[in-house]
Amino acid sequence: MSQAAIQNLDRVFAALSDPTRRAILARLAKGEATVNQLVEPFGFTQPTISKHLKVLESAGLVARGRAAQFRPVRLNALPLAGAAEWLGNYEQFWAESFDRLDTYVNGLQRKEKRHESKRRGR
Amino acid sequence: MKASAVADEPASEREVTITRVFDAPARLLFEAYSKPEHIMRWFGPKGWPVTLCEMDFRVGGKFRFAMTGPSGRQNTPFGGTYQEIVPGRKIVYDNGFETKGAGRMLVTVTFDEFEPGKTRLTMHTLFDSIAMRNSHMSRGFEQGTNSGLDQLGDLAAELAARGA
Repeated sequence: MSQAAIQNLDRVFAALSDPTRRAILARLAKGEATVNQLVEPFGFTQPTISKHLKVLESAGLVARGRAAQFRPVRLNALPLAGAAEWLGNYEQFWAESFDRLDTYVNGLQRKEKRHESKRRGR
Repeated sequence: MKASAVADEPASEREVTITRVFDAPARLLFEAYSKPEHIMRWFGPKGWPVTLCEMDFRVGGKFRFAMTGPSGRQNTPFGGTYQEIVPGRKIVYDNGFETKGAGRMLVTVTFDEFEPGKTRLTMHTLFDSIAMRNSHMSRGFEQGTNSGLDQLGDLAAELAARGA
Protein backbone atom coordinates (compact mmCIF):
# COMPACT_ATOMS: atom_id res chain seq x y z
CA MET A 1 0.00 0.00 0.00
CA SER A 2 1.45 3.38 -0.98
CA GLN A 3 2.14 6.19 1.46
CA ALA A 4 -0.65 8.26 -0.07
CA ALA A 5 -3.08 5.37 0.25
CA ILE A 6 -2.13 4.93 3.91
CA GLN A 7 -2.61 8.63 4.58
CA ASN A 8 -5.98 8.49 2.93
CA LEU A 9 -6.88 5.46 5.02
CA ASP A 10 -6.00 7.50 8.11
CA ARG A 11 -8.43 10.17 6.98
CA VAL A 12 -11.10 7.58 6.25
CA PHE A 13 -10.77 6.05 9.71
CA ALA A 14 -10.67 9.46 11.38
CA ALA A 15 -13.82 10.40 9.49
CA LEU A 16 -15.51 7.14 10.46
CA SER A 17 -14.58 7.44 14.14
CA ASP A 18 -17.50 9.78 14.84
CA PRO A 19 -21.02 8.37 15.32
CA THR A 20 -22.70 11.37 13.67
CA ARG A 21 -20.55 11.02 10.59
CA ARG A 22 -21.32 7.30 10.43
CA ALA A 23 -25.01 8.12 10.68
CA ILE A 24 -24.66 10.65 7.87
CA LEU A 25 -22.98 8.01 5.68
CA ALA A 26 -25.69 5.49 6.51
CA ARG A 27 -28.29 8.07 5.52
CA LEU A 28 -26.46 8.85 2.25
CA ALA A 29 -26.21 5.14 1.48
CA LYS A 30 -29.98 5.31 0.94
CA GLY A 31 -29.62 8.15 -1.52
CA GLU A 32 -28.24 11.67 -1.92
CA ALA A 33 -29.51 14.45 0.32
CA THR A 34 -29.17 18.19 0.68
CA VAL A 35 -27.53 19.65 3.76
CA ASN A 36 -30.97 20.76 4.98
CA GLN A 37 -32.28 17.24 4.62
CA LEU A 38 -29.37 16.07 6.75
CA VAL A 39 -29.95 18.71 9.41
CA GLU A 40 -33.48 17.53 10.20
CA PRO A 41 -32.95 13.94 11.37
CA PHE A 42 -29.81 14.62 13.40
CA GLY A 43 -30.95 17.59 15.39
CA PHE A 44 -27.71 19.46 14.84
CA THR A 45 -27.29 22.96 13.49
CA GLN A 46 -26.39 23.41 9.87
CA PRO A 47 -22.82 24.58 10.68
CA THR A 48 -22.27 21.42 12.70
CA ILE A 49 -23.49 19.20 9.87
CA SER A 50 -21.38 21.19 7.42
CA LYS A 51 -18.33 20.69 9.61
CA HIS A 52 -18.92 16.93 9.61
CA LEU A 53 -19.44 16.96 5.86
CA LYS A 54 -16.10 18.73 5.38
CA VAL A 55 -14.36 15.91 7.25
CA LEU A 56 -16.18 13.29 5.17
CA GLU A 57 -15.35 15.18 2.02
CA SER A 58 -11.65 15.44 2.80
CA ALA A 59 -11.63 11.66 3.28
CA GLY A 60 -13.22 11.31 -0.14
CA LEU A 61 -16.30 9.70 1.35
CA VAL A 62 -18.80 12.23 0.06
CA ALA A 63 -18.98 14.54 -2.90
CA ARG A 64 -21.03 17.71 -3.21
CA GLY A 65 -21.44 20.74 -5.39
CA ARG A 66 -20.25 24.28 -4.77
CA ALA A 67 -23.54 25.70 -3.50
CA ALA A 68 -23.43 23.38 -0.56
CA GLN A 69 -26.82 24.18 0.92
CA PHE A 70 -28.73 23.31 -2.21
CA ARG A 71 -26.58 20.81 -4.03
CA PRO A 72 -27.15 17.27 -2.89
CA VAL A 73 -24.46 15.41 -0.99
CA ARG A 74 -23.59 12.02 -2.43
CA LEU A 75 -21.88 9.06 -0.85
CA ASN A 76 -18.67 7.88 -2.43
CA ALA A 77 -18.11 4.37 -1.05
CA LEU A 78 -14.86 3.65 -2.85
CA PRO A 79 -12.57 4.60 0.08
CA LEU A 80 -14.69 2.36 2.30
CA ALA A 81 -13.65 -0.66 0.28
CA GLY A 82 -10.05 0.01 1.30
CA ALA A 83 -11.11 0.50 4.90
CA ALA A 84 -13.11 -2.73 4.91
CA GLU A 85 -10.15 -4.58 3.44
CA TRP A 86 -7.91 -3.16 6.11
CA LEU A 87 -10.34 -4.00 8.90
CA GLY A 88 -10.88 -7.53 7.69
CA ASN A 89 -7.19 -8.37 7.81
CA TYR A 90 -7.13 -11.13 10.44
CA GLU A 91 -10.26 -12.71 9.06
CA GLN A 92 -8.88 -12.41 5.55
CA PHE A 93 -5.72 -14.19 6.60
CA TRP A 94 -7.75 -17.12 7.85
CA ALA A 95 -10.24 -17.06 5.01
CA GLU A 96 -7.37 -17.51 2.56
CA SER A 97 -5.62 -20.07 4.75
CA PHE A 98 -8.83 -22.06 5.08
CA ASP A 99 -9.35 -21.96 1.32
CA ARG A 100 -5.95 -23.54 0.96
CA LEU A 101 -6.64 -26.00 3.78
CA ASP A 102 -9.86 -27.00 2.03
CA THR A 103 -7.99 -27.77 -1.18
CA TYR A 104 -5.25 -29.54 0.72
CA VAL A 105 -7.45 -31.83 2.82
CA ASN A 106 -9.46 -32.68 -0.28
CA GLY A 107 -6.17 -33.77 -1.83
CA LEU A 108 -5.39 -35.86 1.24
CA GLN A 109 -8.82 -37.38 1.07
CA ARG A 110 -8.41 -38.31 -2.59
CA LYS A 111 -5.13 -39.99 -1.82
CA GLU A 112 -6.86 -42.06 0.85
CA LYS A 113 -9.68 -43.04 -1.46
CA ARG A 114 -7.55 -43.72 -4.50
CA HIS A 115 -9.33 -47.02 -5.06
CA GLU A 116 -12.66 -45.25 -5.43
CA SER A 117 -13.45 -43.57 -8.68
CA LYS A 118 -13.13 -39.82 -8.32
CA ARG A 119 -16.30 -37.87 -7.67
CA ARG A 120 -17.49 -35.70 -10.46
CA GLY A 121 -16.56 -32.05 -10.27
CA ARG A 122 -14.46 -32.35 -7.14
CA MET B 1 3.79 -18.69 31.09
CA LYS B 2 0.94 -16.45 32.01
CA ALA B 3 -0.22 -14.02 29.36
CA SER B 4 -0.20 -10.41 30.48
CA ALA B 5 -3.89 -9.89 29.94
CA VAL B 6 -5.41 -6.54 30.68
CA ALA B 7 -7.49 -7.75 33.59
CA ASP B 8 -10.40 -5.35 33.43
CA GLU B 9 -11.07 -5.77 29.74
CA PRO B 10 -13.88 -8.28 29.20
CA ALA B 11 -12.98 -11.37 27.19
CA SER B 12 -15.94 -10.76 24.90
CA GLU B 13 -14.19 -7.68 23.54
CA ARG B 14 -10.82 -9.35 23.14
CA GLU B 15 -11.90 -12.33 21.10
CA VAL B 16 -12.49 -13.26 17.51
CA THR B 17 -14.24 -16.40 16.30
CA ILE B 18 -13.87 -17.67 12.76
CA THR B 19 -15.85 -20.66 11.51
CA ARG B 20 -15.61 -22.71 8.34
CA VAL B 21 -17.35 -25.89 7.22
CA PHE B 22 -15.16 -28.34 5.30
CA ASP B 23 -16.15 -31.31 3.18
CA ALA B 24 -13.62 -33.43 5.00
CA PRO B 25 -13.49 -35.61 8.09
CA ALA B 26 -12.27 -34.01 11.33
CA ARG B 27 -9.50 -36.59 11.41
CA LEU B 28 -7.91 -35.16 8.25
CA LEU B 29 -8.26 -31.52 9.29
CA PHE B 30 -6.63 -32.37 12.59
CA GLU B 31 -3.89 -34.16 10.67
CA ALA B 32 -3.33 -31.06 8.51
CA TYR B 33 -2.71 -29.03 11.68
CA SER B 34 -0.43 -31.57 13.30
CA LYS B 35 2.58 -31.95 10.98
CA PRO B 36 4.97 -29.40 9.44
CA GLU B 37 4.82 -31.01 5.99
CA HIS B 38 1.07 -30.33 6.00
CA ILE B 39 1.23 -26.87 7.60
CA MET B 40 3.68 -25.71 4.95
CA ARG B 41 1.17 -26.61 2.26
CA TRP B 42 -1.78 -24.59 3.52
CA PHE B 43 -0.99 -22.15 6.33
CA GLY B 44 -1.11 -18.45 5.46
CA PRO B 45 -2.60 -16.46 2.62
CA LYS B 46 -1.62 -16.99 -1.00
CA GLY B 47 1.75 -15.47 -1.77
CA TRP B 48 2.94 -15.82 1.84
CA PRO B 49 4.46 -19.29 2.12
CA VAL B 50 5.59 -20.64 5.48
CA THR B 51 9.37 -20.79 5.12
CA LEU B 52 10.21 -21.60 8.74
CA CYS B 53 8.18 -24.35 10.35
CA GLU B 54 9.43 -25.96 13.50
CA MET B 55 6.91 -27.83 15.59
CA ASP B 56 6.84 -30.29 18.42
CA PHE B 57 3.22 -31.33 18.31
CA ARG B 58 2.48 -32.51 21.85
CA VAL B 59 1.14 -30.83 24.96
CA GLY B 60 3.92 -28.54 26.21
CA GLY B 61 5.71 -28.72 22.86
CA LYS B 62 6.60 -25.54 20.99
CA PHE B 63 6.06 -24.33 17.47
CA ARG B 64 7.75 -21.57 15.53
CA PHE B 65 6.72 -20.39 12.07
CA ALA B 66 7.67 -17.57 9.76
CA MET B 67 6.30 -16.58 6.40
CA THR B 68 7.99 -14.98 3.44
CA GLY B 69 6.05 -12.29 1.64
CA PRO B 70 6.10 -11.23 -1.98
CA SER B 71 9.15 -9.01 -1.29
CA GLY B 72 11.18 -12.19 -0.65
CA ARG B 73 12.07 -11.17 2.90
CA GLN B 74 11.18 -13.54 5.72
CA ASN B 75 8.86 -11.89 8.21
CA THR B 76 9.22 -11.87 11.98
CA PRO B 77 8.77 -15.42 13.32
CA PHE B 78 5.85 -16.19 15.60
CA GLY B 79 5.05 -19.14 17.76
CA GLY B 80 4.08 -20.54 21.10
CA THR B 81 3.26 -23.70 23.00
CA TYR B 82 0.64 -26.38 22.47
CA GLN B 83 -1.47 -26.33 25.60
CA GLU B 84 -4.12 -28.92 24.89
CA ILE B 85 -4.42 -31.57 22.19
CA VAL B 86 -7.46 -33.83 21.80
CA PRO B 87 -6.82 -35.94 18.68
CA GLY B 88 -9.35 -35.28 15.96
CA ARG B 89 -11.24 -32.77 18.08
CA LYS B 90 -9.33 -29.89 19.55
CA ILE B 91 -6.01 -28.02 19.63
CA VAL B 92 -5.24 -25.16 22.01
CA TYR B 93 -2.05 -23.10 21.67
CA ASP B 94 -0.78 -19.69 22.52
CA ASN B 95 0.81 -17.61 19.81
CA GLY B 96 2.52 -14.30 19.25
CA PHE B 97 5.17 -12.55 17.23
CA GLU B 98 8.77 -12.59 18.42
CA THR B 99 8.76 -8.82 18.70
CA LYS B 100 9.51 -6.95 21.90
CA GLY B 101 6.26 -5.98 23.57
CA ALA B 102 4.12 -8.00 21.16
CA GLY B 103 1.03 -9.35 22.84
CA ARG B 104 0.02 -12.98 23.03
CA MET B 105 -3.09 -14.71 21.87
CA LEU B 106 -4.67 -17.93 23.00
CA VAL B 107 -6.09 -19.92 20.10
CA THR B 108 -8.58 -22.76 20.40
CA VAL B 109 -9.27 -24.77 17.27
CA THR B 110 -12.14 -27.25 17.44
CA PHE B 111 -13.12 -29.78 14.81
CA ASP B 112 -16.76 -30.83 14.91
CA GLU B 113 -17.67 -33.53 12.41
CA PHE B 114 -21.41 -32.92 12.54
CA GLU B 115 -22.10 -35.48 9.84
CA PRO B 116 -19.73 -38.01 8.32
CA GLY B 117 -17.23 -36.20 6.11
CA LYS B 118 -18.49 -32.73 7.05
CA THR B 119 -16.61 -30.81 9.68
CA ARG B 120 -17.16 -27.44 11.24
CA LEU B 121 -13.84 -25.90 12.18
CA THR B 122 -14.08 -23.13 14.76
CA MET B 123 -11.07 -20.98 15.52
CA HIS B 124 -11.43 -18.88 18.61
CA THR B 125 -8.71 -16.33 19.34
CA LEU B 126 -8.47 -14.55 22.66
CA PHE B 127 -6.12 -11.58 22.52
CA ASP B 128 -4.27 -10.06 25.48
CA SER B 129 -6.09 -6.78 25.10
CA ILE B 130 -8.76 -5.03 23.08
CA ALA B 131 -6.02 -2.90 21.54
CA MET B 132 -4.16 -5.98 20.37
CA ARG B 133 -7.29 -7.53 18.97
CA ASN B 134 -8.06 -4.39 17.04
CA SER B 135 -4.55 -3.99 15.76
CA HIS B 136 -4.62 -7.57 14.47
CA MET B 137 -8.02 -7.08 12.97
CA SER B 138 -6.88 -3.94 11.26
CA ARG B 139 -3.09 -4.19 11.14
CA GLY B 140 -1.80 -0.90 12.47
CA PHE B 141 -5.01 0.94 12.95
CA GLU B 142 -4.36 3.14 15.96
CA GLN B 143 -6.22 2.74 19.21
CA GLY B 144 -8.79 5.36 20.04
CA THR B 145 -11.64 4.44 17.80
CA ASN B 146 -12.08 1.08 19.47
CA SER B 147 -15.68 1.42 20.48
CA GLY B 148 -17.17 1.87 17.07
CA LEU B 149 -14.89 -0.53 15.33
CA ASP B 150 -17.15 -3.53 14.87
CA GLN B 151 -20.07 -1.44 13.85
CA LEU B 152 -17.76 0.48 11.59
CA GLY B 153 -16.47 -2.66 9.93
CA ASP B 154 -20.02 -3.80 9.28
CA LEU B 155 -21.00 -0.44 7.90
CA ALA B 156 -17.93 -0.21 5.71
CA ALA B 157 -18.40 -3.70 4.34
CA GLU B 158 -22.08 -3.13 3.73
CA LEU B 159 -21.54 0.16 1.95
CA ALA B 160 -18.59 -1.10 -0.04
CA ALA B 161 -20.59 -4.15 -1.11
CA ARG B 162 -23.33 -1.89 -2.36
CA GLY B 163 -20.72 -0.12 -4.45
CA ALA B 164 -22.51 3.16 -3.89
